[in-house]
Amino acid sequence: MKGVRAGSRSPIFCGARRMEQSNRFWRTVLLAAPVAVFTVFVIWPLLSSFHYSFTNWNGFNREFDYVGFSNYAKIVTDKLFLNAAINTVIWMVAAILLPTLLGLGLALLIDSRVPGGTMFKSIFYLPICLSAVVVGQIWVWIYQPDWGLLNTVIGLVSGEEFRYPWLAKPDTALGSVIIAWAWQQTGLSMVIYLAGLTSIPEDLIEVCEIEGATAWQRIRMLIIPLLTPATVVVIALSVINSLKGFDILYIMTGGGPFHSSDTLAMHMYNESFKKYLMGYGSAISVVLFLIALTIIRIYFRQLRRVDEIYG
Amino acid sequence: MADLRLENVSKRFGDVQVINGVDFAAKHGEFVVFVGPSGCGKSTLLRLITGLEETGGGRIFIGGADVTGMKPSKRGVAMVFQSYALFPHMTVEDNIGFGLRLAKLPKEEIGRRVAEAARILQIEDLLERKPRQLSGGQRQRVAIGRSIIRDPKVFLFDEPLSNLDAALRVQMRLEIARLHKRLGATMIYVTHDQTEAMTLADRIVVINRGRIEQVGSPIDLYDHPANRFVSGFIGSPAMNFIDVNEHGPENCTSLGAGSASIELDGCQVAGATAIGIRPEHLELAGPEEGDFPATVEIIEKLGAESLVYLQFDGSDLPLTMRTSPEHPLCAGETVHVRFNKDRIHFFDRDGKILNRP
Ligand SMILES: Nc1ncnc2c1ncn2[C@@H]1O[C@H](COP(=O)(O)OP(=O)(O)O)[C@@H](O)[C@H]1O
Ligand SMILES: [Mg+2]
Repeated sequence: MKGVRAGSRSPIFCGARRMEQSNRFWRTVLLAAPVAVFTVFVIWPLLSSFHYSFTNWNGFNREFDYVGFSNYAKIVTDKLFLNAAINTVIWMVAAILLPTLLGLGLALLIDSRVPGGTMFKSIFYLPICLSAVVVGQIWVWIYQPDWGLLNTVIGLVSGEEFRYPWLAKPDTALGSVIIAWAWQQTGLSMVIYLAGLTSIPEDLIEVCEIEGATAWQRIRMLIIPLLTPATVVVIALSVINSLKGFDILYIMTGGGPFHSSDTLAMHMYNESFKKYLMGYGSAISVVLFLIALTIIRIYFRQLRRVDEIYG
Repeated sequence: MADLRLENVSKRFGDVQVINGVDFAAKHGEFVVFVGPSGCGKSTLLRLITGLEETGGGRIFIGGADVTGMKPSKRGVAMVFQSYALFPHMTVEDNIGFGLRLAKLPKEEIGRRVAEAARILQIEDLLERKPRQLSGGQRQRVAIGRSIIRDPKVFLFDEPLSNLDAALRVQMRLEIARLHKRLGATMIYVTHDQTEAMTLADRIVVINRGRIEQVGSPIDLYDHPANRFVSGFIGSPAMNFIDVNEHGPENCTSLGAGSASIELDGCQVAGATAIGIRPEHLELAGPEEGDFPATVEIIEKLGAESLVYLQFDGSDLPLTMRTSPEHPLCAGETVHVRFNKDRIHFFDRDGKILNRP
């Protein structure tokens, strides 16, 4: 048996080093897996979209020609693209504002200990657990002209039979889908705001009480400013979710009638997979990607500013 | 005139009776300190006065008007919280002017009054800062600023200094005393620290388990405590307590101290089960005049005085004695100690005082 001399490396030290090495190995392996998935399902499609946007590929044939920037030139003159862009702005503004404001309102109501608050909390949260497809189908039934819930209720209240095809009229199609969307998303922002409310110290509320703040003054001067971190999260999620909001439109209106509820995502889908203009569709998707990137960059820059204020 | 009167006020949380029939009146301009151990109900009592908690019974009067059941904002009280409760997103200026902004006073007037409060509290340079850019003492001043700006009838402080370090605590204590003198307002101050109570109060209210144990001036409570609780709570180091032997000799109080006993000749009170004696009423004596021998365990030299921790021979009875620092004592030494017999407090079985030393 060899004695361990003072100053020589202890066995413990060697063991630590071996463990360090095996840790590094596993760290690499575990990181490699998501990176690979991300490359195959995100980076690669992104790059190939970019590639196809310079071609006239129809999505089937092996051959295609390179057409330079003509797909992008077409975007500028495409009336339907402009229409879809406007709808996208409406959609995004509504899809961010409605769930945020409704979620805040519900959270404040539930937090003020209205009777049955806990029950309402669960009920409002429920739609988040459903997929957008299911939510879309539920609301298709609600809006159904002949026996849908909405028209039936209006009929009962007004006393006259009411038959309005909400989703089939250009004036109401987009708005109707936005309401269905808000119905689903509100629960999420409500829960985030409720969590934010619990982090507001009770004694600050009590100061408001002693100083004689009205409920509205308390909400405006204290609660909303202190909920800024929650609002940051809510809006980030709303932006990301609304950018992704394609499936519910697809289920409920498919962009119709007469493109009245077309968004850019819907327009891209129609051009690519209905008109088989894969090259043009790819160009739209590249533009959509750049828009999303810009919005998110602006948002994160604002976020840093909020951090500086509250940090 | 803004006096404060509590009539038989009580409060329970669930099954726990936290405040138990409190009767008390503070005169206009008086500085009253509620003192008691942690959890005795001081904060609850203060919150009942503010109106942050509803009373379970009894009535509260401020300036002669019955405010029981009134909203906090209508009572004319201001409260300074232990946590300061400053709004983190507002500047010092906005924090102090909060109440005036709620009342929608003109901007110039708010500015003028905030400046005045800031001047009194010497925080004029900090008005633009946010609370997190302030030290504990500065935050405390801002919290006080917010309370004085509305000119309340009664100020309520809930352990306002307990988050500060010792040196700052002494300084802020002085400033609060100065503020009281300057404003001449009725102030109710809650603390668990008897030193704070002794130094600040015109009158002290000692609370224990939701009941008032005794009300009086600091010196009154120190010299004439009504019971064993107050005796032990007021004064630092605390009063020494020794049990009285049931069967002692005639005309003599026999104190139990383990196997041995201390006989105090010519000094007896019927019904006493324990005595109390303050550390300064024990004194060193020669072997002849001493009442008992004891071993010096530890000496704390505080400069102006020394605290000597004694062990009575043959028992584990700990005693504290206050002496002048000139006595050349060292640990382990045996000394003879004499009671100042005029200053012995006698307590009955329930802890009530039997004499008036
Ligand atoms: N909201 C409450 N619900 C239930 N028990 C409470 C509540 N507030 C205080 N208590 C209890 O009342 C007692 C007194 O509390 P408190 O007034 O805060 O004591 P102090 O301020 O003297 O330390 C404590 O035992 C505490 O647990
Ligand atoms: Mg307390």
